[in-house]
Amino acid sequence: MGDGGQKVLEPKKAHSTGDTGSGHTGHEPETSPIGSGLKKRTKEALKDDFLRKAVAFTTDKLRGGRLKAADEFGDWETWRERGRAIRQHTISHLDYYLGQFADNVVKNGGNVHFCHNGDDAVSTFMDIAGRHRAKLVAKGKSMVSEEIHLNHHLEEQGIDAIETDLGEYILQLARETPSHLIIPAIHKNKRQIADLFEADAGRPFEPDTKTLANYAKQKLRNYFLEADIGLTGCNFGVAESGSITLVSNEGNGRMVSTLPKVHVVIMGMERLVPTFEDLEVVLNLLARSATGQKLTTYTSILTGAKRPEDLDGPEELHVIILDNGRSEQLGDPIFQDVLNCIRCAACLNVCPVYRNVGGHTYGSVYSGPIGAVLTPLLQQDMKEAGTLAYASSLCGACYEACPVKIPLHDMLVHLRHRKVKMKLTALPERIAFKVYQTMFGSVTLFKLATKSAYYLQKPLARNGFIKSGPPPLSGWTQSRFMPMLPKQSFRDKWAALQAELAAKPRNGAPAVGGDAKAKGGGGHDAE
Amino acid sequence: MTPNNGIMSGKEAFMQRIASRLGRSNPMQTAPEKPVRGVPEHYRDRILSAEERLDTFISNWTALSGKVLIVDEATAAETIGQYLLQVCADHGITRAARWEHDALNGLELDAALQRGGIESLVWREGGDAGLQRRELPTGPEGNWSKRIGLLQAAEQCRLGIVWPDCVIANTGTLALFSQGGKGRSVSLLTEVLFSVFRADQIVTRMGEAFELFKSRYPEAVVMPSSLNLITGPSRSADIENDLTIGIHGPGSVYAVIIQ
Ligand code: SF4
Repeated sequence: MGDGGQKVLEPKKAHSTGDTGSGHTGHEPETSPIGSGLKKRTKEALKDDFLRKAVAFTTDKLRGGRLKAADEFGDWETWRERGRAIRQHTISHLDYYLGQFADNVVKNGGNVHFCHNGDDAVSTFMDIAGRHRAKLVAKGKSMVSEEIHLNHHLEEQGIDAIETDLGEYILQLARETPSHLIIPAIHKNKRQIADLFEADAGRPFEPDTKTLANYAKQKLRNYFLEADIGLTGCNFGVAESGSITLVSNEGNGRMVSTLPKVHVVIMGMERLVPTFEDLEVVLNLLARSATGQKLTTYTSILTGAKRPEDLDGPEELHVIILDNGRSEQLGDPIFQDVLNCIRCAACLNVCPVYRNVGGHTYGSVYSGPIGAVLTPLLQQDMKEAGTLAYASSLCGACYEACPVKIPLHDMLVHLRHRKVKMKLTALPERIAFKVYQTMFGSVTLFKLATKSAYYLQKPLARNGFIKSGPPPLSGWTQSRFMPMLPKQSFRDKWAALQAELAAKPRNGAPAVGGDAKAKGGGGHDAE
Repeated sequence: MTPNNGIMSGKEAFMQRIASRLGRSNPMQTAPEKPVRGVPEHYRDRILSAEERLDTFISNWTALSGKVLIVDEATAAETIGQYLLQVCADHGITRAARWEHDALNGLELDAALQRGGIESLVWREGGDAGLQRRELPTGPEGNWSKRIGLLQAAEQCRLGIVWPDCVIANTGTLALFSQGGKGRSVSLLTEVLFSVFRADQIVTRMGEAFELFKSRYPEAVVMPSSLNLITGPSRSADIENDLTIGIHGPGSVYAVIIQ
């Protein structure tokens, strides 16, 4: 190794310039709360052309890969159904499988810590770090550690936590959070990455993939070697053996779970399958749904810490099992299935909203359709986080893509319903629905409204479209055009059509010449 | 050897909560009836002939940019030795690591490497004895300098030789049951992964590899601490979707198949 002759290791604290005051992860992209910040973040995302193109390109690629892989695999629906059945069975017997899993981890010499919430998990981790006088933690990709803001707490204790997934490492230098489950730095271009590396290394970089990758590789290699603790998430725990399954394409998961003397796993309590046979199903579904690969490059199935006869591997294994709002969904007839999620990101890649605005807009660790459902549920916050349920077009594409058939679109509707029932929707929205109710309750009012809507929109329209409307229409027109309402409403046309049908002679010949004018003048045009 | 039990904390209240959310007064203690198990039947029952398994593996492995050499049992040692030297020359490699493994020992690869002036390290205690010390990438202080010499030396080997426990045809995957002489680091810290195995070790799908693993180690407490499935070279698409090969693990992967 030894590129650049750099010998001394200086774990770089993510630039500790003035804190943004967010009091969060230490690399928070912005400070506004989830719900009320949603509009602002949407506007910003819509203005960022690179971001929108990059997200659309990447999600297209991933979506295409998934469809091709599913096609090659054959009988995808049977697979999905199998995946759903296995996940649902596991979750509805989580007390059994989690108990079995934990007992096996302990029998294999690993330590298990059950943690009710994020604070418990953080303090458990801090205890472990303290006992080992840890100064440097090398992290594999772990959404759960983002969820509990672990980096921020480590930073406070003077412990450096280095993200070792290349995309995550880039984001750490930028002090940003991931914007996609699989490709976290999807929104960054090469020049931006080169700038971040320049600031880190104090020397100029060409915005060239190979140069940039080599620099990161060298830096990260030293972190792997020097780290006191390797920290990872867990893709799937296997209950029958107490094994932890980690998948990665880069191999960073293997590095952090092999080289440091202590390996700590932080996992959501639902990330289990009963047996190795079931693991085969979810690994196949995950790889194909996430990136269209047949199998992720590295799949490590880790059972206990290193055995006495081993010459490498961690000497100590800790598994932190986290609830943090998950158990609230158990037994809920509508939302329990959200725990079936295998975090493949297929739903993000097909979501028209995510594809337009990217992940940061959601303002939470979990973005896209799954984020819009999971975030309010985990945070048990319908007011702020519940607003994410509106970041959806309810088109159902997410359900179609989901390899374990989670009905995300239905759940989004239920979340909106909950919000309404709790009277947590915005005042203008409540007024709008009141008006709507009154209008639809009276034929006269309804007729009047449709007529006046046509005339009111006229000054805004060009060539049959409204390209930029005033609020609340602007919410729509900032990302697409709005077709004008037609002068003649369907109700008016219907009356004419009825009259025409009544006048039609029995033999089926047109009553009067069959020309458009005779049909009442309206025709099918918009004007 | 059976490991000592680890420590468990917070289990009871945690499990109690889960059980009550699921409508049970206590956590379930006996295994529930499972309506489904494993992969769909049509997939599980698909039987490939030995030849089809070989072909399928080769096409998947090469699609991932892996290289394949098929050799005859009778001349295996000699041919593989030559090929190994060729690969080392192609990559400018001067130091290689290999598993301590009976089948690999039988191929006398160390002798071949020596002929080519390439230092070799065998994954066993003291396996680095003959190697010249090199400077550590992280300097003389810190954690890495305190690790065993074998590990430090393996980090400086740029090629790793392994003998997979089995090979999965339909995904193009090597399955390594890492334990004892079959060190994890040999397939991890190197830039080139050189695997050798027999054609009859190729199975059709992942589930068969798991079955083999479980039949060899029926009790979890004796399972190797790491079962690694390796499907092609290390890759990343994190920089503007450009595929970067060999970011943390080996970037070039070879499969030598003895028939
Ligand atoms: S909800 Fe479904 S599609 Fe979305 S990440 Fe989870 S498993 Fe994948």
